Parts: sequence; structure tokens; C-alpha cells
Amino acid sequence: MIRRLLCVAMLPLGTLWGQAPAPAEGLVSPSSAPLPSYKNLKFPPLRKITLPNPVTFELPNGMKVFLLENHELPLVSGTALVRTGNLFDPPGKQGVADITGMVMRTGGSGGKTGEQLDAELENIAASVESRIGETSGSVSFSCLKENTAEVLGIFKDVLSAPEFRQDQVDLAKTQWRSSIARRNDDPGGIAQREFAGLVYGKDTPYGWDINYVNIDAIQRADLVTFYRRYFYPKNIMLAVYGDFDSAEMRARIEKVLGSWQYGPEPAAAFPEVVKKPAPGIFLAEKADVTQTFFEMGHLAGTLRDKDLPALSVAADILGGGFSSRLMRRVRTGLGYAYDISANWGADYDHPGLFIISGSTQSKYTEATFKVIREEVEKMRTAEVTDQELKTAKDSVENSFVFLFDSPSKTLVRMLTYAYFDYPNDFIFQYQKGIAAVTKADVLRVAKEYWRPDAFTVVAVGNPRDFGTPLSALGSEVHKIDLTFPEDGPAAQAPAAPQAIAKGKALLGRVREALGGESRLAAIRDATVTTEGTLQSPGGEVKVAQESLFLAPDTLRQERQMPFGKQVVFSDGKTGWIASGGKVMDMPPAVVEQARQQVFRQLFWLALSDRDPDRAIAAEGAAAVRISGRSGDEATLELDEKTSLPAKVTYSPAGSGEVVESYSDWRDVNGYKLPFAITIQRDGQPFAVLQVKGYRFNAGLKTEDLAKKP
Amino acid sequence: MLEFKQPARWAIAACALACAAQGQLLQQFEKKVTEFTLANGMHFIIVERHDAPVVSFHSYVNSGAVDDPSGDSGIAHMMEHMAFKGTSTIGAKNYPEEKKAIAAVEHIYDQYDAERNKTFHADARKLEALRAALRTAMAKAETYVDSNAYPRIIEENGGAGLNAETSEDSTEFYYSLPSNRMELWFLLESERFIDPVFREFYKERDVVREERRMRSESNPQGKLVEMLLATAFAAHPYRVPAGGWASDIDNFRRTEAVDFYKKHYVPANITIGIAGDVDPAQARRFAEKYFARMPAGPLPPEVRTVEPAQEGEKRVEVEAESQPFLAIAYKRPDDRDKDDAALNVLSDILSSGRTSMLYQELVRDRKLALGAFASPELPGGKYPNLFVFYLIPNLGHSVGENEKACYEIIERLKTKKVDDETLQRVKTKERAALIRKLASNSGLAAALTEYYATQGDWRKLFTEIDEIDRVTPDDVMRVAQQYLKPETRTVAYIVPPASGQEHDAAKEAK
Repeated sequence: MIRRLLCVAMLPLGTLWGQAPAPAEGLVSPSSAPLPSYKNLKFPPLRKITLPNPVTFELPNGMKVFLLENHELPLVSGTALVRTGNLFDPPGKQGVADITGMVMRTGGSGGKTGEQLDAELENIAASVESRIGETSGSVSFSCLKENTAEVLGIFKDVLSAPEFRQDQVDLAKTQWRSSIARRNDDPGGIAQREFAGLVYGKDTPYGWDINYVNIDAIQRADLVTFYRRYFYPKNIMLAVYGDFDSAEMRARIEKVLGSWQYGPEPAAAFPEVVKKPAPGIFLAEKADVTQTFFEMGHLAGTLRDKDLPALSVAADILGGGFSSRLMRRVRTGLGYAYDISANWGADYDHPGLFIISGSTQSKYTEATFKVIREEVEKMRTAEVTDQELKTAKDSVENSFVFLFDSPSKTLVRMLTYAYFDYPNDFIFQYQKGIAAVTKADVLRVAKEYWRPDAFTVVAVGNPRDFGTPLSALGSEVHKIDLTFPEDGPAAQAPAAPQAIAKGKALLGRVREALGGESRLAAIRDATVTTEGTLQSPGGEVKVAQESLFLAPDTLRQERQMPFGKQVVFSDGKTGWIASGGKVMDMPPAVVEQARQQVFRQLFWLALSDRDPDRAIAAEGAAAVRISGRSGDEATLELDEKTSLPAKVTYSPAGSGEVVESYSDWRDVNGYKLPFAITIQRDGQPFAVLQVKGYRFNAGLKTEDLAKKP
Repeated sequence: MLEFKQPARWAIAACALACAAQGQLLQQFEKKVTEFTLANGMHFIIVERHDAPVVSFHSYVNSGAVDDPSGDSGIAHMMEHMAFKGTSTIGAKNYPEEKKAIAAVEHIYDQYDAERNKTFHADARKLEALRAALRTAMAKAETYVDSNAYPRIIEENGGAGLNAETSEDSTEFYYSLPSNRMELWFLLESERFIDPVFREFYKERDVVREERRMRSESNPQGKLVEMLLATAFAAHPYRVPAGGWASDIDNFRRTEAVDFYKKHYVPANITIGIAGDVDPAQARRFAEKYFARMPAGPLPPEVRTVEPAQEGEKRVEVEAESQPFLAIAYKRPDDRDKDDAALNVLSDILSSGRTSMLYQELVRDRKLALGAFASPELPGGKYPNLFVFYLIPNLGHSVGENEKACYEIIERLKTKKVDDETLQRVKTKERAALIRKLASNSGLAAALTEYYATQGDWRKLFTEIDEIDRVTPDDVMRVAQQYLKPETRTVAYIVPPASGQEHDAAKEAK
């Protein structure tokens, strides 16, 4: 397959009407007539297109509406464009916008689950979908004319009253985690991500990564908050297109959406892009590729720049189409690459990216970069040829008609301009601008705007095959670390199958050492009594406690301390704390901790590979990482000689790393159990506990455990 | 930034279609279609859609990678690239001289090959000298070239969606133009089919080699599919990747591309689709003027090799620095088979939309997979091929778990009939998918040529709906039983490098 042609810019220009004279095409007998050269073909004028004229109005609640009739097919579709975007993701919870957009639809609305909506809509081949992108959100629908009322009802529910059911929040988070795990599989994707991260800054909403820790931190309540902040009538523009009567549709929309009254403070403007150039060469190593995938460039501008037309033409001549300089030299002339292109990526409301990208055989990496630099320099030092300017301008002008080949394109454009506050005739202004571009303009903007010295160059490939190292280009090569940040539960790359297998083997050894799988599996409840000392801010404190565990999630602890008695209970979902004669609800964070304490009990933790809800993986020679449902995670380390657990490491929410070490192993009714436990927090001693006794299967019942003192 | 979703819009139209008499739709559509065959055998299908002054063109050459001669895999794809290199008048600065220069390149390359063929007795110094001579000769030939002139002309005239693709079954070329420039297409397309000059052949061979590096060698899933096909097929050329093997690409010669062109680019093997703002009478005049001069030739034979019956499961693992990925493939008949409709329905029940079985069970409920899909046809449809399941395990879940869960679903399809609601929904969607192709000029031009070339009549695009409508729950169960059999299965999966234990993980599934 050959490479796709790129237009001069995202908004091409030029006009077709008013072209050459009518053709003199006569009926000729095929064999005898000499064929014309393509240079001599005469084309008739192109039929003029009349631009459609949408109906626009505003609902009393502030929602702007655009209606455009089209009766070609018995169909109706619509889009509510919402001023929001993932640029508003709260730091630490990157991903909220995307998950909100997803779960608005999948999480159900109007009292129906997402699954019910799936069936209802798919049965009539209709759709309602929602999403939130970088600088906008949308809810859209489409249906057969006769289903308009029904589908518009679902559309309204998804837009104005999504229910965010927990199971779909969980699913979206699971999917996100897997996507993160896969983000280093595609070398082209790595180059794109790292380039944007470097140029915009990884600490800004334009450039940051979404990591496991961010996804793990997101709760249903965050989606509800995000949704309520941005989804209100005044913040929405609605466009409806298709087979309807505008007056009827207007009445229908007023009825369905007019009663939606909700208006928080107007949403903030999108964050500014902060210019922080990151010049240099950045290399991400990937061993199993035969090509180097690369992106290089720096910040571009916005579509409002007066020099936009000249910049678009310049980038097109450099690397836009087949006849571009990079294509001719690097692909056709040298055969170094299949894919290579340049683009001045101006955006509506913030600086986009000027990117030269492609992929080249590993051994030509350095050579390709050198050639690209030369070609950029040439653009900055000498005028382009007449032919080049003509090709760039003509291709945009002559393909202009494709921007208008469906009335819906005009409606979308109108909506987009209204959304970003651009003039309605922007496309025609741009068209005029391109027509006026001269060779001198191209040279001027290349000189003024392109800064090859300040290029950020990202290469993803296998440096062992580079032939000439990238350092030969004369600047330091910085390595990009592709490992996943150690930033949360199961925050590492997903377990390789051999790590899972090894983890299983290790847990098997632990089980044997503790008394055997069947004995451990037989434990339904456990009572553990301990005594010891805790480090508190006020000094060392003596403590005696009895802990009652009931599989899978229930815990009751009675704790005697110098200042009184404390009883806590949790069933893993809710709980209470009784102290000093008062009983209060257990805060959710403490419920989490209680559940995780049950999760960590050695005799059950050792069975983790039998639990489909848990993932395990070996870490190093003698440790297993075990992850359960969100937040439950621990790493169990073996004593290599005895196969008994030496320590368990975990990181409770809002705290650093905790390490529990076990010793004084004794035989109890066929089990081997630790009678001394020491706990360290962030490397500091925290508690020393002696176990007084273990009791299994005392017949504990939830209702007994839940009895308040 | 935002768009009105075409697929869904058409999905609705399908519903309307279901209610209306389907024959009527075809009847209405036929009024817009003009069809003719030139004396040399080239067939044209023209659809009038006058909404906007644009027109789309699609050339369907009914030969593809499956027709690559043994040892020259990738030559059909190479020919596709050569079709963009111009003619004796397009892209030529001085064709008589260029012709001589190309002949000189070939002469040196012949000598080089002759020396190389001496194997043990080849003279290394002579080979080196010939390589140097080759470079010089190629550089000389290039001086006569107006590089990339052919696509540049299309760009300058506002061409949109310019592209081409080579699959196992076909080679296709397509783009759209403002409708007043229709004659330009006739001129350019006829010239590249009648007068290709195969210039810059060896440079382009490097580009094609890069394309393979990009698509297969640096793409774990590309590698996996390549190995799946090479394992599933023992004899049929579907086992060879459409882009060719690396060493074949490195070594094939211009002569081989010319031979392929002469054999396969004959008028009777080419179908042209034109859709948009077009006057069919004028299009016919242009067709006579530009394409009638193409000399007729015999149709190339179909592939005669028949894949022998598979008698036992095959498994292949691919080591890659990538997250796990699994493909499970079953042998199925070609797309002209009576069971084709039922297999399409089966595939939709499994993986079309959020109501599909694979999504509901593996993705939504059990959360084993990030994605799970079925595809009824790989790598082509002209010959018996593969019904494939693709499973992308979720973080923390193995290939083995996914494989096992997939077999559970397959087993259920074999033992339990699908309910009427599911079947009806799937039929509605199948109609929708079919109709969706009619929504755009380029989609129409592509679909009509393909149906004419592979099914004998473009009307099959419409009548296929009737076949799908006749599929019963019994049919779905029967084809699941008949084709999704362990002994005709090939399983391919990605494992991390140097892993010995994945065998066990995957085998657990069985």
C-alpha cells in the first residue's frame, strides 16, 4: 500500500469554480485518435455548490442548537458538543475525563443499565455514544427517522442524567490498566507519546502520561464530580442533522431538553501551554524492531496565526505529499524509509506540534536524521521552486470541493467554529491566504518559525543496529526510560507468563511449609491473640489485641491500650469503630485497610493463585507479588531455606511502605505459624508483637462479629 | 473533532430496508447503474450520485499475492508500487535514453546474478565490482526521471484518498477527483496499465522492504498473523504473507515484475468502478477512447493448489517484547460456499457490538480480555481460508485463561441454539453493514468491483442479504459444529523472549 496523501493543512483552501474553459471533447474512434497529454487536458467548470443554511436558536436554559435538514435518507443524527476535555483532568487522577466519557454511556441512565441500553439500541440499529477528548466532550446519537422520539429520550438521559454504575466504572478502570500495560508494544506510539511529553512537558495536561496509580486513584465519585462540573445546558451546543422538519424538531428539542435546568459556575478556560523547549536527542531502546520510529520538531502555533497559510505550504513542500522533498529524497531517492512526513500542526486554541515523523531501517537512523536536518536547512536558506509552490497550492485548491461534498460537513464546521469562537467564514479566509502565499513568504516563515537547533528528536529503536551512533549528530543522547513507574498497586508491567508460573511455584512451596494446601484451604475463620508494643508520636505504647478473621473480608479487632479499649468491625464494605463509649462509622479509607489486613493473612495469602480475582507474579528469585481487587496488594518474600514467609511488604493508602517480618515459627495442630511479628514503616520500627495463640474454625459468624460493644 | 457517525446512520437505513421489500431496493439502485464491457474484456460499473460534484474511481485487478510465483513472493505488491512510477510520457525527462539506461542496469544485474549463481566458485572481487557498476548504472538511469510525477499530477488536480493495496486475492487502486476532472483519471489510469516502465525498480524495492519492516517485523501482532498463516496452511499460497518474505523482496528482479504484469494486468482481469457525479454516456466514451487500446490477453489461471485436510491441531508461539496476544484459527471454505452466510452470522453473534458474546463474556463480565474479536475470513476469501478469533488478554490474565474461555463459548455455540432476538439483531446489523458500503462514492466503487470480480455479479451485494435472512439457529449451530473443530485448529500466541514456561501456561487451557 502506498502512503496516504496529506492535505496542506487540516483546513484546505482554494476554489474550483471559475476554472478552465469548457472541453472540446469530441466523439473520436478509439484506435485512430492521438491521445492528449495530461498537460493538454481541458476541464469543464466545476458545478457550483450551494452551502446549506442551518437553523440556529438558543433554549431558555442556554443551550445553543443548530438544525440542518437533509432528506436523502430517512435518518436523524445529532451531537451535543460539551466544553470540557481531558485538559481538565485533576492532577493525580489523570484519566478521569476519559473514563467519565466512557461510563456516561456504559454505566446506564434513566433507570436502565448500560446493557439494557445496548440491547434496546442495537435491536433497532441505533446508537447513542459519549466521549471526552482533549478539548471537547460529546454525546451523539443516530437513528432511523421513525425512532427519533425513543432515541432522543435515551440521548437526553445519557447527556443529563448518567448513573455511573460501579461495575462499569470498574470495567473501564480494568481496561485502562491493560491499555497502559500495552503502551510500549507499538514503537510508533512510543515516539508519539514521548515527543508530546517532552515538548509540552510531562508535568502538564498536554504532555503527561496516565499511569496505574492515576487510574487506581479514580473512584466513581470523581466521575460524578467531573460530570457535574462540565455537563450543563449553557456549556453545550447541540447539532441535529437529517430527515426532519426543522420547526417540528425545534419543538421536540424544546420539550425534551428545555426542562433541563442546571447551571454551575462557568467552566474555566483551558490551561495555557507553557513554552519549555527540550532540545536534544532522546532515545527509547526497543530490542525487537528492525526500524527506528522517530518524531522530531517543536511547538507549532494556532490556526489564528497570520502566517498559518505560509507555514502550511512550507510544511507541505517539506513533507506533505508524494512530491514533497522528504518523500523524494528519503523514500524515493535513498530507499531509507517507507513512511516519512512533516506537518505544521496548528490547533484551534493552543499551540499544536510541528512534527517530522516516520520510520527508517535501523542502520540508516543517523543518516536519515542528517538528511532531514539538511532538508529543513535548505528550506530556511533558499526559496522553493515555482513547481513546488504550484503543486502545494493547487492540491489544496483543487481538493477544496471535498470539504463540501456532504452538507453535514458544513454543519460540523459551523459548530466547530462556534465552539472555538472562530469567524464563520474562516475556511474562506484561509483559502484566500493560501492563494496569496509567495516563495518569499515560504522562505521567511521557515526561517522565522522553524528552529532546527531547538528540535526535540525522539527515536525508538535498537541502537545495536544503528551502524553510526546518534551521538555522531553532535549532541548528547538522552535515554528515555520505558519502564513503568513504581507508582501504585500492581504498577509494574503485567506479569509475563513465566513470572506467573514461577509465582505459583513459590506459593506452592509456601503452602507446603505452612502445612499443606488442603489444610490451609480448610480455614474458614481465624482468631489471633497478640501482645506487644507500638511506636506512637507520644512514645512507646503497650497493646494487647484479639483479631477475628472470617473469610473472605470480615474482621473484628478488640484492642486494649493504656488509654482504653477500642473495637473495630468491618465486612470489607462498611464498618464501625467503637471507642470511649461511642460508635462511629468507619471511614472508607479505614475499611480499605481492614479489608487489606484480611487479605494479607498468611494462611490465606498463600492460596492466592487459586483465586481468580487475584493476580500473582514472581519478583526476583524468592518473592511473589499478589494483587487482589483494587488496592489489595502485597509482596510475600520467602525464606529460601525453609520456604516459610520471611516478610510481607505493602503500601497502605496514605502511608509509605510497610514491612512485616515473621519469626519464632512453631507447630500448631499440623500448621507452621509465626509467633513473633515485627513491623517497620518507611524503614522505621513501628511495632513488635508476640502471638499468644491461633485458633482456626471456631465457627465465627458475621452477626456475632458485628455486635457492637 | 466531532463527526456524525456514518456507520450508525446506515445501520438505521438497514432497518428501513428490512421493512421494505429488498428486491425493490435493488431495483431502485439498478436505475443508477450503467454496466458495460469493452471488446478487450475490461468491465466497467458506473453509479450515478449527483449530490456533489465529485467522483470516485476504483480499479480492481483480480490477482494478488496468492498469484506470486514461488520464490518471488511480494511481486504482486511490488507491481502495485511500480504502477505509481509513471510511464514513457509521465515522469520521463528523456525516455529513449532512460530506456537504454534501464537496460544497462538489467544487463549488469544479469552478470551479477550469473556470478552469484556460481556459489562456491563465485569471485568476490568481481561481485563487488559488479555491485559498484550497478550503483553507477542506477544513478545514471535516475537522471532521466521526473521523480514522483504520477502522484504529483493527481495531487495537483485535487485528488483525494489516493491509495492502493495488495491483498492475497487482489490488487486495488483508488482515488477521487472533482467531477470535472474525470478525463484525467481515464488518461492516467489507462496509461499506467498500458505503458508502465518499471523505473527506479531497485530503489523502490528498498522502500517495499522498509514497508515490510514497518508492518511486520517491528509489529508484534503483524509477526503473529504471519506465523499463524505460515502454520495453518501447509500447501496453499495463503501461507505466504501478502507483502512477501524478506529474502524474496531482497532478490526479485525487474523482469519478474514485468512478467507478473504481462500475465495478470490483462483487461479481462480488471474491473473498474466509478461512482459519483458522472454522465455514464461520457464515461463510456472516455472508456473507449482510453482503455479500448489495451490489448486483450488470456485470463490468468486461478491457483490450483488445494490445501490438504488438516488432521490435528497446530500451535505456534512467537517471541516478542510485547503484551500477550492470541489468535485461534479454524479452517473454513471459500466465500462462494453455501455456508458463507451462516459463517458471517456466526462471526457477528460472537463479536459485533456490545451485545456480542465475546464482548459480554470475556471483556465485560469475566474481564479476561481487553478486546476479543472474531473474523470470518483470513487472509482472503477466494480460496478456503480461516475463521479467526483474536484475544487480547487483560493485565494479569494469561493467554491460557483466554484460550480456555474462548473454547467454552465455542462449545456452547455447538450445543445450544442462539435465541431469536440475537439472530434478528445480527441480521439487522448485517444488512446495515452491507448498506453502509453504499453510503459513499468510494465505498460503492470498491464494493461493486469486488462483488463483480469475486462473485460474478455486483448484484450479489444486495442478494447476499436474502441469504443472510435465511440463516436459522440450526444453521449457526451446524456451522459451528462443522468448522470450529479442534483438529482443524491453529493457535498462535505471543510470548516474551526466552520463555520456556509459556508452553505450560497455554497448554493448561486444553
